[in-house]
Amino acid sequence: MPTIDCGGRQLDVNEEGFLLHPEQWDENLATFLARAEEGLETLTDEHWAVIRFIRSHYEETHGAPMVRAVCKATGLPLKRVYELFPSGPARGACKLAGLPKPDGCV
Amino acid sequence: MADSGTLDAKIEALTDDDLARGLDLFRSKLGAAGAVWLQTCVHCGLCAESCHYFLTDHEPQSIPAHKLEQVAAAFRGRYTLAGRLAPALTGARPFDRQLVRAWVDAAFGRCSTCGRCSLNCTTGVNVPAVMRAARATLTEMGLIPADLQQVVTTALETGNNMGITREDWLDTVQWIEEETQGAVGDPAARIPVDRQGAQYLFTVNPREPKFFPLGLQASATVFHAAGADWTVASEGWDLTNYGLFSGNNAEGGAIARNLLGSMERLGCRTLVIGECGHGFAAARWESAEWLRQRPGFRIMSFLELMDDWFRQGRLKADPSRITDRVTLHDPCNTVRQGGISEPQRDILRRCVTDFVEMTPNRAENFCCGGGGGQLAMAQYRDKRLQAGGVKAEQIRATGARIVVAPCHNCIDQLMELNREYKLGVVIKTVAEIVADALVLPTATPPAEGNHDVAS
Repeated sequence: MPTIDCGGRQLDVNEEGFLLHPEQWDENLATFLARAEEGLETLTDEHWAVIRFIRSHYEETHGAPMVRAVCKATGLPLKRVYELFPSGPARGACKLAGLPKPDGCV
Repeated sequence: MADSGTLDAKIEALTDDDLARGLDLFRSKLGAAGAVWLQTCVHCGLCAESCHYFLTDHEPQSIPAHKLEQVAAAFRGRYTLAGRLAPALTGARPFDRQLVRAWVDAAFGRCSTCGRCSLNCTTGVNVPAVMRAARATLTEMGLIPADLQQVVTTALETGNNMGITREDWLDTVQWIEEETQGAVGDPAARIPVDRQGAQYLFTVNPREPKFFPLGLQASATVFHAAGADWTVASEGWDLTNYGLFSGNNAEGGAIARNLLGSMERLGCRTLVIGECGHGFAAARWESAEWLRQRPGFRIMSFLELMDDWFRQGRLKADPSRITDRVTLHDPCNTVRQGGISEPQRDILRRCVTDFVEMTPNRAENFCCGGGGGQLAMAQYRDKRLQAGGVKAEQIRATGARIVVAPCHNCIDQLMELNREYKLGVVIKTVAEIVADALVLPTATPPAEGNHDVAS
């Protein structure tokens, strides 16, 4: 089983880098994954707004939000969300927010 | 590997009865043509270099004839006289745990059921059909990778493969309708929902409303510009069907019924499948087979419809707006297996100034590497990205800045290849290109449905 080493914590991930145990997520891990998986050296307030919204939505519903909900909650235009996360809302933002990989063609 | 760990445990737990039943299952799924294909390979080796897996890993296990042989060996050992009498001479093998592992590796791990090997096969063996029968068998034995089955299950349970609620879907449709109206500067640009008796029912891949709604916006823009009488459905709107990949015809049929149900409920005349390769192949070619029922309406690809509209003069484009070099990816299920090859090319020639083909192209084009459900199976990720190397180099050789791919599944793989192989390209659907190049009607668009002759 693949693992990642985040500041001494060994965490199980799937082969695509999504957490196997989403409850292990914290904000340090988001920063770590941003660098390791998305090539983002720093996370801006805009990144955090998206990540925190996706995380809170996940904790409530155990699913990923619609990108519509992300835009509504953060006030960011859709195109800005794609700019912020090079791998897109699913493989990018949802992964950084510690969600399991969404089903479907993503 | 998480899932293969579970799979391994399941294979270890197989009893002799399970294995005997499994092989009988396979026989029942194979059909007469399939049984012939298993005996037809002449080991000429032409298939090796037709396969994007073998071209990138050079492992003998990736040669299509080798994958076929894993399946044929088990069949021969039980169902052919020569195989029963002289297994060693005929290459017959017992269907044991080791061979089951080889089936999983061949059918799920090293095949995107793209069919390119069959096109290049001396004797015309339909390898995807055999691999699908093997997948169907493994699926029924509980040996399908769990994440692939999950996509099927979610579609069966919720009506779409991402579990999007009706409320979320309709909220996004309304949002995209407003965005479209703003973009085209016309409040008459609508995305009608559940319009009874509309000529066209337009269906989408859940990936669009969930994460990438710009594709939906582009499609809505095109429908608006053509003045079409169209609708989306509040339920039964998902065009995907992963039953094609799991091999389970009953589940594939149940998912296909969602689309048929919306057509019946709304009384539309034409079912339009948005830009999705496997969704088109499943709806247009497979679902009638799975359901043993001929649909009482026309099923067409959105590519065909847009092309018709250009020919009829209902759409007009200004190619001078897109001067970057553009190339086109041919999704296996749309082109090689779906038969839709020229409409997308005719459209692009009207919409861009510098269109170049990949080499090879059309039916001979290579799979992106993400087909056959590969994107859903995390355990094969590295293999998928490696196999996509052929596509990445095809793209690089064109020098294109824009890659057009009429398939949302391919687009996701191409996005990953773009990063992995540092291609520096932009990836778009055909509708997105059309929407960018469209010359929109300045006056009020024609009343809906008054001159619709496409079907």
